[in-house]
Amino acid sequence: MKKIIGLSFLLVVLFSTTLNAQNSDLTLKASLSKTVLEVGETVKISAEVDNEKGKAIKGAEFQYFSRRSKVVSVDNNGNVKAVGPGEGTVFIIYSPGEDKDPLRESITIKVNFPPVTKIEISNAPSKVYVGSKSILNTTIIDKSGVVRKDLNPKFQSSDASIAEIDAFGNIVAKKAGQVTITAYYEKISSTIKIDVTSAVANQIKLTAPSTEFRTGDVVHFSVSALDAANKKVNDLPIYFSFTGVSDDVSSTASGLIKQDGRFVADVPGIYTITASSGSLSNQMTVKVQPRNVKREVQFIGHGNVNTKHTSDFWVWEGADGKDYAVTGTWGADGTAYFWDVSDPANMIKIDSVQVDARTVNDVKISEDGKICVISREGASNRKNGLVVLDVTNPRDVKTISTFTENLTGGVHNVFLYKNHVFALSAGRKYYIISLANPAQPKVVSEFELDTPGHAIHDVWVVDGIAYSSNWSDGVQLVDVGNGIAGGSLEKPVQFASYTYPSGANHAAFPFKSESAGKFYVVAGDEIFPYGLNMDRPNIAGGFLHFVDFTDLEHPDEIARFEVPNAGSHNYWIENDILYVSFYNGGVRMVDVSGELMGDLYKQGREIGWFIPADPNGYVPNAPFTWGAQPYKGHVFMSDWNSGLWSIKLAPEKPENVSIEVK
Amino acid sequence: MLVLKLNKFIGAGIIFLLPLFGFCQKYYAYVAAESEDEVSLIEFDSKTASAKLNIPVGVWPAEMEGPHGVGVSSDGKHWFVSMAHGNPYGTLYKYSTETNQMEGQVKLGLFPATMAISKLNGLMFCVNFDLHGDMSWSSVSVIDPETMTEIKKITTGSMPHGSRISPDGKFHYSVAMMSGLLFEINTLTLEVSRILDLDENTSLSPDDYFSEEQLSSNSLGGNHQHNAQTGVKPTWASPHPTLPILYVAGNGSDEILKIDLKTWKIVDRLKGGKAPYNLDITPDGKYLVASYKAEGSTGVWNIKKGEEVARIKNSTTVTHGVAISSDSKFAFISVEGKGGEPGKVDIIDLQKMERVADVAIGKQAGGIIFWKKAM
Repeated sequence: MKKIIGLSFLLVVLFSTTLNAQNSDLTLKASLSKTVLEVGETVKISAEVDNEKGKAIKGAEFQYFSRRSKVVSVDNNGNVKAVGPGEGTVFIIYSPGEDKDPLRESITIKVNFPPVTKIEISNAPSKVYVGSKSILNTTIIDKSGVVRKDLNPKFQSSDASIAEIDAFGNIVAKKAGQVTITAYYEKISSTIKIDVTSAVANQIKLTAPSTEFRTGDVVHFSVSALDAANKKVNDLPIYFSFTGVSDDVSSTASGLIKQDGRFVADVPGIYTITASSGSLSNQMTVKVQPRNVKREVQFIGHGNVNTKHTSDFWVWEGADGKDYAVTGTWGADGTAYFWDVSDPANMIKIDSVQVDARTVNDVKISEDGKICVISREGASNRKNGLVVLDVTNPRDVKTISTFTENLTGGVHNVFLYKNHVFALSAGRKYYIISLANPAQPKVVSEFELDTPGHAIHDVWVVDGIAYSSNWSDGVQLVDVGNGIAGGSLEKPVQFASYTYPSGANHAAFPFKSESAGKFYVVAGDEIFPYGLNMDRPNIAGGFLHFVDFTDLEHPDEIARFEVPNAGSHNYWIENDILYVSFYNGGVRMVDVSGELMGDLYKQGREIGWFIPADPNGYVPNAPFTWGAQPYKGHVFMSDWNSGLWSIKLAPEKPENVSIEVK
Repeated sequence: MLVLKLNKFIGAGIIFLLPLFGFCQKYYAYVAAESEDEVSLIEFDSKTASAKLNIPVGVWPAEMEGPHGVGVSSDGKHWFVSMAHGNPYGTLYKYSTETNQMEGQVKLGLFPATMAISKLNGLMFCVNFDLHGDMSWSSVSVIDPETMTEIKKITTGSMPHGSRISPDGKFHYSVAMMSGLLFEINTLTLEVSRILDLDENTSLSPDDYFSEEQLSSNSLGGNHQHNAQTGVKPTWASPHPTLPILYVAGNGSDEILKIDLKTWKIVDRLKGGKAPYNLDITPDGKYLVASYKAEGSTGVWNIKKGEEVARIKNSTTVTHGVAISSDSKFAFISVEGKGGEPGKVDIIDLQKMERVADVAIGKQAGGIIFWKKAM
């Protein structure tokens, strides 16, 4: 008996955690009988404070809290509950009072994952052909119902001579017969039965609309399996792959092929497309030519702003038929500048307004060219909101009204559509505000997501659809009068969305491609991997995601445009040309004609670029382009360090005449 | 014994002679520039002030994140800054006072602002100001500053501001600007213990105020929630270091309210400058210093007499924060300025009752905290 008691004592000592914290003459002791728990298990913290003689102070009260309440919770009495798997820490605080520092201690607790209870097999074929390959999808679920993506099942075939299965769930049918495939994790398993039948197809037919095309062209290869009687075998899985040799000996013949037969090549060369199923295969070799879309970019004019940073801009035809621009300012004194840009080679600053703000981040003009709305951030009274301006005469801009209702936290971006302002409120939602009486703007509705921690950065409206950029909630399409989902300006209705893993969605622009018959939404990142130095040149990151929204319920991210060592900001698409600012990478003009797939930059779709470096800039020689807008044959751009610029794309050259670009 | 006496003599002599040798005290304060995304370390040598360091803060380069509140740990080894804007929540950052390098961060609520640390348990209380427009329930975040963990959000009212803690560390005081309410939080139970309606001068029951019915209603406390109708629009609460009284800045009513902490009643209304915004009390308990935001001046009140003994024009407009040196001699006042103007820190000599120095920092100087006095 003594031995048992002694052993028990030893076990308590070995398997409990006791920690001490000292403060002059007081010592806080806290312990748990066990620090590895199962989900749902509870255990009480034993805490005491000893005085200088080592005796526990009676009636000592403690505060308890958890650092990761999703793993362990703790109540006011020190009862710890294992909430979810992982590692958590609970803290114990004793407040001695009388100007003595508080004592604190912490205990780290591990909560085990619940046991796996289920494996589900999806997309299991009931029948496969000899020689063909199929892939099993499996899902492992634990006792708490959580899908365990961190675990991988093992696979086993009841008869490997009929069908083999590898560690990744690929089944290769070897000969006719019936086989049982088991997916298992520890003692939990799931099985399916598969009939392997003799191959009936004896050839694969592969065709393409052409054997010669350009980089970036999406080619649809057609494939069919035929039996001996030349009849189609419809349920034979066929896989596409490609190899290639680049025309440039130092380059790889890269590209992208989808399993529905779509193929796009990045660089000129000879490519061989293979369609295969088991021992059957067919190949087709094609020639890929350079895209040859380069055009000369001509510098036209520069309207210098070098006393402060420049933000967004807008170019419009004024009520008098002349052309004007408005530019905002950033981190400065709340000024917006108005320009006569009728002669893009000689852009003249004609007026300015200064409002109570530090940043006028966004500026927009109404469709009739008479109203300008500018956003405010950093107002001295912290009532930011909007300022509505009369720009009927851009040489004498007048303030019509200021509007701060529900917008006091700051308005980062706005959009004007059919006499309504879409205004972001503190990066959380947008309000739709009627300008029927611009002297008295009136909120008619609002749109806000209900996801945890949702945020918003921008909104753009075309044809009654608002495209908002919502960081980790991606692009949201909202009917504000289009009718597609029964929405209106007074009652916005969300009807489609797309998110992507980086969570960096900063801008969105819709693009109905007439040449491809597709509806894309271009979702842009804003990322600063190296931070931002206000006094020196900077390098941004991030790219444009082309999302095919043709099927609204199944948006498909299909292409990207990324410039090495530069990052995307604002952009515009017109006549199948993308005009995109890439901060330190200047403005890029990109051919987005036809169907899009893969890496548009590698495909040579870039038509030209212009980097607006200015030795007299706010930060000299530090191009940081904010946005670009095509307008009446020119391209205008605003640059953070140097103001407003205009450029022009030279006319297209005949095909396959290359232009040397320095 | 002789040695001890000798040491005392030498010590007294050094103290007496120090000014003759040109030694002087230096005072240090941290101040945030909300529209510059910078925190400046101000050094003041009793005559001139300078920005010893301008420390860029924030992680989102293309957005103005808005550092609003600053705090210093009780051991002086760390300073903290709350960044108002995020996606959408703001963040509290922890920096070393030795290296001024960031050492930790924790995401809080919407527009985290003023903060204070309880010496009783070391926990920090930071109000989530949420001045984003919609009048909705907001909270006081409780943070363990050692691990930078948010332990709890304690719901209070609309636009909480002015986070300060009683001298014994037992109670946290804040106001809800658009609710017109003063909240007392027990720092040990982390629950609201008392509420005072500053418009009606009546105590509210936390049970009633936080009933499920009220919390689920957008009316923010039903009858007790005044929202924009509150006349007081309180922006600050500052407990006296020794007496059971507390002062509240009535930003909307142009008055400073004196609250008796025993009776939980307003017992006096001090009529001073326009729009009192922040308050601080000298550690010796003699003076209350108030920033008058709307008139760009600072008021100094003799607490015993209940009289404003000085009103000092600030060096620029929009007076914001107040921090007082540990020896009760100087008040450091942050002044925002407007638009592209630099923010300022004015130093007021509380013996001469005059502004003796000012220093320009980044735009919209706001939250300010005294760090230390050193040779």
